[in-house]
Amino acid sequence: MNLAIETNRLSKHYGQVRAVDSVSLRVKQGEIYGFLGLNGAGKTTTIRALLGMIRPSAGSVKVLGQAVGSNGRGPWRQVGHLVERPTAYPELTVRENLEIARRLQGIRDGNATSRVIERLGLAPYADRKAGTLSTGNFQRLGLARALLHEPELLILDEPANGLDPAGVVEIRELLASLAREKGVTAFMSSHILTEVDRLATRIGIIHKGRLIEELDAEKLEELRSQRLEVKTRNLEAAQSALVQAGFAVKVGESALILNEARAIAAPDEVTTILVNAGTPPTRLAVEQENLEVYFLRLTGERE
Amino acid sequence: MNAFLSAFWAEALKARRSKVSVLTAVAFSVFPIIDGLFIFILKDPEQARAMGLISAKAQITAAVADWPTYFQVLLLGTAIGGAIVFAFITAWVFGREFSDHTVKELLALPTPRWIIVSAKFVLTALWILGLTLMIFVIGLGVGTAVGIPGYSHDLASTSFWSLMTIALLTFMLMPFIALFASVGRGYLPPLGWAFLTMALAQIAGVMGWGDWFPWSVPGLLGNLNGPRTEPIAAHSYIVVLLAFIAGVVATFAWWQSADQAR
Repeated sequence: MNLAIETNRLSKHYGQVRAVDSVSLRVKQGEIYGFLGLNGAGKTTTIRALLGMIRPSAGSVKVLGQAVGSNGRGPWRQVGHLVERPTAYPELTVRENLEIARRLQGIRDGNATSRVIERLGLAPYADRKAGTLSTGNFQRLGLARALLHEPELLILDEPANGLDPAGVVEIRELLASLAREKGVTAFMSSHILTEVDRLATRIGIIHKGRLIEELDAEKLEELRSQRLEVKTRNLEAAQSALVQAGFAVKVGESALILNEARAIAAPDEVTTILVNAGTPPTRLAVEQENLEVYFLRLTGERE
Repeated sequence: MNAFLSAFWAEALKARRSKVSVLTAVAFSVFPIIDGLFIFILKDPEQARAMGLISAKAQITAAVADWPTYFQVLLLGTAIGGAIVFAFITAWVFGREFSDHTVKELLALPTPRWIIVSAKFVLTALWILGLTLMIFVIGLGVGTAVGIPGYSHDLASTSFWSLMTIALLTFMLMPFIALFASVGRGYLPPLGWAFLTMALAQIAGVMGWGDWFPWSVPGLLGNLNGPRTEPIAAHSYIVVLLAFIAGVVATFAWWQSADQAR
């Protein structure tokens, strides 16, 4: 198994604060890995350690099979990154900023800059000073820098930050196509959980510096709890009929909620009971817990 | 070499696009102009009074209006002004990466960090060299325009090399500015250091230890052509060299291995 990223018991302490605590990540090549965590959970510290920007207090980091040192050693020709909010030299144009990145990446092909400008939709702003760009276009510039050298691995911190809804979809499709067509591995942190939900093939959840869950996106689907939501014109009568039939029923604000597997597996049976009780359902739906709720439940931020 | 040239190209582009390059050129060119004005007043105080350049009560007897005095003032101005202007340049070259948060784009690259730091030092050196040459040329122009008596090629040549030596010695004190800009992540710590060392240089000079205090040495050389000339001994150059080496080593070491957590 080829691992694009491998950390072994990676820890970073600042005095008494354990920013990252014994995190062991395994990101396979070709995966889109969603790295989820609340603010201050340790996402950016982990990313900085992956990029050799900070020296781990303990543990080790390997990127594309090569050990990463805090002295700048690493396979950086094959890695594109965006750490926290994007930055650029404000008095330089978009093209000049990318031209600096191209040269520092050691890319001889002078057209690489123009290609990435086109790809990220920055052509109308190519000769505009970076300091005058909107937040969304500034983010695009940061992503352009990460993609400029067509890396094998992308390490992106909140890549959808500041983008408008169309931009979010565009970047999602771009990352998906890079993974699909070129086998690019993407490791992306995000707090926009629906983004991770739609894009990631594997998900890691970090909380208070510890990796508390690491699972395939498909497995996540199974783990997120389901429930049957029932709406009728007479909630009390419906509740009473269902309780009589042996269901455990919770009363929500405007619907009855049935969490049992039996109810989720047989909504038709529930419908029959309600029709026979003279209170037929006006809406009946199997709802899946969304990622936010699952995430908050897992991190103990919400029961 | 390619990596270095790329890094230097990047540094030069940033400097060219910045207003700092123009500002430092303007700030530095003020010295020969003020020097010329000073000599103009010395040369003919009556005319200066008539033109309203000086007050009627001013007593101008401190110096003679000739080329040696003119060059001496220029050298002293470079020693003092250079400590500030050169520190400003170095603080900008290094500190702007932290102030604009662009440093994180320089850390995980195929171009090693030490090459980027080297390119920054080379750019700073060339910038300082350019400004020094500029003020010498402006100085000659202003001096000629004012019509100062007593010019000789030998004097100009000696003064030129004294000026270059002062600029070199002042540059050799800049790595500490680079270090403070990097460790302090911005402009204030290095500029604070520049003003602190200027004050300490004065104190060291008054106490008679100026020749042992690296930050006093360029100022001592500024007096070389003056009446209170004292030759500068080898130990003064050595302490400046030691300060240079310590600053360079510390700056490279910091960039190479310090945590970049912000």
